Amino acid sequence: MSTIRLQRMPIAPARIALVLRLLSVVLALLTTAILLWATGRDPIALGAKVLSSTFGSSFGLEDLALLFSPLIYCGLAVAVALRIGAWNIGAEGQFNFGAFCATGIALFVPGPTWLMLPLMALAGMIGGALWILVPTLARAYADVSELITTLLMNFIAMLLVYWVATGPWLDPSGMALATTARLPVSVPPIWGIVHWGLPVAVMLAIALALVFTYTRWGYEVRIAGANPGAAAYAGMPVKRQLIAVMLLSGALAGLGGMMEAAGTVGRLQGGISNNYGYIGIMVAVLARAAPLGVLATAFFMAVILNGGIVLQSQGLTTHTVLAVTGLILLYAAIGDEAAHYKILRNKTGES
Amino acid sequence: MTDIPDPIQQRLGLAPGTPPILALKGVSKYFPGVIANEAVDLEVYPGEIHALLGENGAGKSTLMNIVTGIYKMDAGEVIVEGEARDFGSPTDAIEAGIGMVHQHFKLVRAFTVAENIHLGWPDTPKRISRRVLEARTSALSDTLGLAVQPEAVVADLSTGEQQRVEILRVLARDAKLLILDEPTAVLTPEEARELFVALRAFVARGNAVIFISHKLDEVMEISNRVTVLRGGRKVATEWTERCSEKSLAQMMVGREIVLTEAGQRAPLPKDTPPCLSLANVSLTSDQGTVLKDISLDLRPGEILGIAGVAGNGQRELTYVMTGLATPSAGTITLDGKDVTRIGARAMAEKGIGHIPEDRLQSGMAPTLSITDNAVLREYGQPPLTRKGWFSPRGAGNLAREIAKAAEVMVPDFAMPARNLSGGNQQRLVARREMRIADKILIAAYPSRGLDVGAINTMMRYFVELRDQGVAVVLISEELEELMNFSDRIAVMFHGEIMGMVATEGADVEEIGLMMGGKRREVAA
Ligand SMILES: Nc1ncnc2c1ncn2[C@@H]1O[C@H](COP(=O)(O)OP(=O)(O)O)[C@@H](O)[C@H]1O
Ligand SMILES: [Mg+2]
Repeated sequence: MSTIRLQRMPIAPARIALVLRLLSVVLALLTTAILLWATGRDPIALGAKVLSSTFGSSFGLEDLALLFSPLIYCGLAVAVALRIGAWNIGAEGQFNFGAFCATGIALFVPGPTWLMLPLMALAGMIGGALWILVPTLARAYADVSELITTLLMNFIAMLLVYWVATGPWLDPSGMALATTARLPVSVPPIWGIVHWGLPVAVMLAIALALVFTYTRWGYEVRIAGANPGAAAYAGMPVKRQLIAVMLLSGALAGLGGMMEAAGTVGRLQGGISNNYGYIGIMVAVLARAAPLGVLATAFFMAVILNGGIVLQSQGLTTHTVLAVTGLILLYAAIGDEAAHYKILRNKTGES
Repeated sequence: MTDIPDPIQQRLGLAPGTPPILALKGVSKYFPGVIANEAVDLEVYPGEIHALLGENGAGKSTLMNIVTGIYKMDAGEVIVEGEARDFGSPTDAIEAGIGMVHQHFKLVRAFTVAENIHLGWPDTPKRISRRVLEARTSALSDTLGLAVQPEAVVADLSTGEQQRVEILRVLARDAKLLILDEPTAVLTPEEARELFVALRAFVARGNAVIFISHKLDEVMEISNRVTVLRGGRKVATEWTERCSEKSLAQMMVGREIVLTEAGQRAPLPKDTPPCLSLANVSLTSDQGTVLKDISLDLRPGEILGIAGVAGNGQRELTYVMTGLATPSAGTITLDGKDVTRIGARAMAEKGIGHIPEDRLQSGMAPTLSITDNAVLREYGQPPLTRKGWFSPRGAGNLAREIAKAAEVMVPDFAMPARNLSGGNQQRLVARREMRIADKILIAAYPSRGLDVGAINTMMRYFVELRDQGVAVVLISEELEELMNFSDRIAVMFHGEIMGMVATEGADVEEIGLMMGGKRREVAA
């Protein structure tokens, strides 16, 4: 008689983890396909439609790139915070507030483009950092969980943007109902409608990966994130690091907001963040907080989101996409755990 | 080794032919590059406490993990009450009456004792109120003679209490064989005594205990028989009463241990200026005053022992001496300069190493790689860091160097440090700290979790450091260790120093009294 048993290993082999990741995606898509089929739709035709509309034309690819870019910013924001053991659930709010600050500069400060863009980027980053400042200080000095505080700040930022875009900053031309005027400066395009926001995001991801691996600061953040007690023991300024990293996290999301307002949309409007901040959490978690991993998972989520837009045009609701992303996360979590197990086969005589 | 002539059953007072509760035949287990167990035979009979003795890495935990279905053996047989078994999981093992309490507890810290006892237990009724859970727990606690507080949250309990909960959890499931993996490593001597009483009562009811340890005196005290493992293989099984600590130590390490002696040397001149001085140092925390008016001088080239029951301010003393805590009153001077509030990093840079009491909580980041942990003290200096740039390759080199000096076999330096055995973690931390301790080494319970061989090596290092002129502060619960190695012994009680004695000619009785709170009249 042969028996099969599982044994848990202390470290998951990277190759197996990767294979299971891919498998989890396939499983999630398969589950969705079955559900679609069960409700009387043709999953194969829909899948083909999604693929051809995303990858089959330069329009599709440009749309994809425009989704990819904000997901990198938000994914990096969440990932950076995770590095020091903080959950930034507020990338959504920081993104909105960054967009708001950059728009304010663009609308009310005159100046040449070469000066305006860096200024707006700076405003976006400072805005994002400001938006996480209170949760950061509360966590550092009063041990208040940033999980809740960053989340609550999101609603304030969202409402603020809605209000200015429909009220004080409403497009005076009367053409639009719920946006500001077109911003006088915009992030220059590099390819079709894709602008510099994307390469900057990619460079930031690479830079962060280098910083975390090849700087003393990166090492310190790693220790402080894994065990603040050990960091204090080695004399590291744990609080200062926590504050610096969380502000950096906010700044990244804020910069994403600036790029969205001044690059992709060209205006500030309600709902400009499009849930990127929340999806960024998933991006970061799937990437295990590795900046280069964020590039891969953000791309992947962009494909899913874009697929969702295509599906909507086919009469499916946005909830389908949410369900798919949820399924992927679920299967990935199962897969990550499963990667620790080794399957053992052996033959036993009696018993 | 000689065979045991008379039948085991007879000596244990069992009916002739009584089968063992557990028998292992030729059990082998290989990890990549490591023989964890090879051809191990073992028989455990009802009514006995069977010690499993061996150095760190001898394969004790692995062998018992095989028995309880956590690991899969590569060869051999596990026979439980005459029937060959191959448990797929600890749940299967406990159904067959075999339960294990691990070195690292597996309780849910946020749950109450009662909840932990009933968690994952098929006998737990499906619908049950908190009150009933607690009542059931009390009843179990009474019948099994293990006092626990059912309503307490596990995180609030002392280590000894948590261990009782673990044991109760296993015994509640009708275990006939209780396996304890180094149970006393985390206990005070008093708690250990209580544990021994409970164990004796348990085997008196016809059950059996496998007691894993590397402490010889305990094995001598508690066990009926002892099986010694070395390098994954069984060396011998003997009746404990036929062994001595010396013979066991020899079997365990496979050579005669020459115990390190503190060594003869000229006494320090009385006027040697102190390197570190504490003057009227006090420390208050949320628990109130934890250090009270401590004054002591540490001189280069001496080993200062700190005696006392754990939890009497020893930890806090190490904190103020290493800059981890700033005293609320008093001053600390290092080579004549005030260092009271310069912080942990500056203290380390000035040559003060610190082997902390709870290495997993403060001395290491268990989830990070062995490399990251090994370089925790030197990451900021060349060749690891130059102008802020950190060299992972340099870190790898240093980690290998430290592991080599610490005599720790590391298969993969990228592996999380928590996968190292406790003893190996301790060796790595000790080595890492000794490298930076140019002036002072503060060692809190450095021998906890180490076996005789390793303790011996560590003490030899301390003596070498001392001979190089480093001052060593040795905090220990083992008076014998302090008497053997320190030049002077200070005794702590309730955050105060009760007195200081020169080790030579010291009266152990008097030290014992000071540990209980009696103040010494004249200072040494
Ligand atoms: N999961 C594992 N993977 C690889 N090696 C292991 C694993 N568990 C234990 N070992 C190795 O097996 C040997 C025996 O370890 P262990 O049983 O923990 O020893 P002990 O409990 O006697 O200290 C050691 O060399 C240890 O490093
Ligand atoms: Mg062990």
